Amino acid sequence: MSALLEARGLIKRFGGLVASAGLSLDIAEGEVHALIGPNGAGKTTAIGQLAGEMRPDAGSIRFAGQEITRLPVQRRTRLGLTRSFQVTSIFPHFTAVENVMTVLLVRSGRVFRFFAAARRETTLREEARAMLARVGLEARGDVVAEDLAHGEQRLLELAMALATGARLLLLDEPMAGLGPLESQAMTRTLGGLKGRVTMLLVEHDMQAVFALADRVSVLVSGKVIASGEPAAIRADPLVREAYLGEDS
Amino acid sequence: MVETRRQAVVLLATLVLLLVLPALATAVGMPYLLTLGSQVVIYAIAAASLDLLIGYAGLPSFGHAGFFGLGAYVVGILAFHAADQSRFLGLVGGATQAWIVWPAAIGVCALAALATGALSLRTAGVSFIMITLAFAQMLYFLFVALKIYGGTDGLGFDSRNTLPGIDPSSDTEFYYICVMALVLVLGVFRFLVRSRFGMVLEGLRQNERRMAAIGLASYRVRLVAFTIAGAGAGLAGALDANLLRYVSPDALHWTMSGDLLVMVVLGGVGSLYGAFYGAVAFVGLQSLLSQWTEHWMIVLGPILVGVVLLARRGLWGVLAGASDGGADGGGGAR
Repeated sequence: MSALLEARGLIKRFGGLVASAGLSLDIAEGEVHALIGPNGAGKTTAIGQLAGEMRPDAGSIRFAGQEITRLPVQRRTRLGLTRSFQVTSIFPHFTAVENVMTVLLVRSGRVFRFFAAARRETTLREEARAMLARVGLEARGDVVAEDLAHGEQRLLELAMALATGARLLLLDEPMAGLGPLESQAMTRTLGGLKGRVTMLLVEHDMQAVFALADRVSVLVSGKVIASGEPAAIRADPLVREAYLGEDS
Repeated sequence: MVETRRQAVVLLATLVLLLVLPALATAVGMPYLLTLGSQVVIYAIAAASLDLLIGYAGLPSFGHAGFFGLGAYVVGILAFHAADQSRFLGLVGGATQAWIVWPAAIGVCALAALATGALSLRTAGVSFIMITLAFAQMLYFLFVALKIYGGTDGLGFDSRNTLPGIDPSSDTEFYYICVMALVLVLGVFRFLVRSRFGMVLEGLRQNERRMAAIGLASYRVRLVAFTIAGAGAGLAGALDANLLRYVSPDALHWTMSGDLLVMVVLGGVGSLYGAFYGAVAFVGLQSLLSQWTEHWMIVLGPILVGVVLLARRGLWGVLAGASDGGADGGGGAR
């Protein structure tokens, strides 16, 4: 099986701190792959390097058979590799539909159009509404994004990530700051996307991880110490000692 | 941002007022109102182009006078060479026809903006403010040093640029040309901020990191905005030189950039039309208060602080009321 994303021996240092210490990771097409680990294990650094916001000091990243280690964020996005943020990152003054429309028009590459009113482009608008429907936000399309509830904003972010045409979504703690009900809604939405888009899920919420993930990799001190099916990971004594025991 | 009814009424009333101003000035026996009106309209063009940068692109340029003054100097220099039949750098002859000179001013300023923008847009925040300021000051000192074009004394010329069918010496006809230019520029900007380009620009201002994450090469988008704004200021500068039949390094000085910033803030950042009302307030206060004291800035300062604190959406916000929320691309709506 050839992986959609292959990270090999990623090393990233911040001064004396080694945030990635030879991190290797395979993500297969179509799977939901969870990346878990205790605080400070280097999860955010790992996502940052995969998304292209940080450059690894050593190692390589291949995506869909292409070497992407040195590509900037926007080039990776165009290849189909997109991240969501731990902290909600939307366009606060645009409506939900406009948020998604912005993504779609950037994706179209036809940004340098100076006259036709963008908000009146019906195909763009319809496509944006369809994206919102996929995350269950169809009724909230005309609400200004900053007025949406926190959980709705996270769903909007997800719709925006989908709108980039992502083949692989890097989801950085999609449940962060969500209440129990919102978490469940997000889990349902992600479950509904399963199979249509590959996901790397970085998450503390173990319920969500074990509900969604096809495979789980455990990151400790910048290295993947175990990788396998959720049941196997749950049973792994090394993992229990390093992580699961102290968290859940 | 579909204008509300109130906004449409305010704009229409303003346009009518602008159109009858020459008759009004004659009726009340204050012909100098016409010159003042032209000055306001010209500043409004420059301030609107600055607002495009600050309010829409989120680029706080502090060197906009560089393009304003450069546009003015293109007019002055071409007039200078036309008068003595010489050539600029031994290459380009002089010209006095508006249809050559004004596009030349716009083009030169667009090129200058492209070049300086290419460098300054590699920075952000305070560095961007400083580097745009530095470029404008470099131009200022360049023209101070160019003795052939008058140095600090500036460069006067005899007559305005000619347009077929228009009497260039008529202040009224020139005033109407300025008004037409303003309407044209605001019209173009209005389309611009609502276009795909404008939407992306606005998104970039709201959340730059997000824009990169969805795949936008933001540098190119901002560079285009910077170039358009530079071209707009160049047109304003060309008109200004024509109004005064004179150009001096003062048009390039950083205090001019500051004046334009004040107009943008008075009018309402990110309000597009606000720049005009900001220019009215600025020129109005200047001419009223400077009769009373030469230190008129002492009064302007507190007014500016008041506007910033009390009416953060500026005069346009006060006149035209609430816009339709965050979707309008306005910077004031927070």
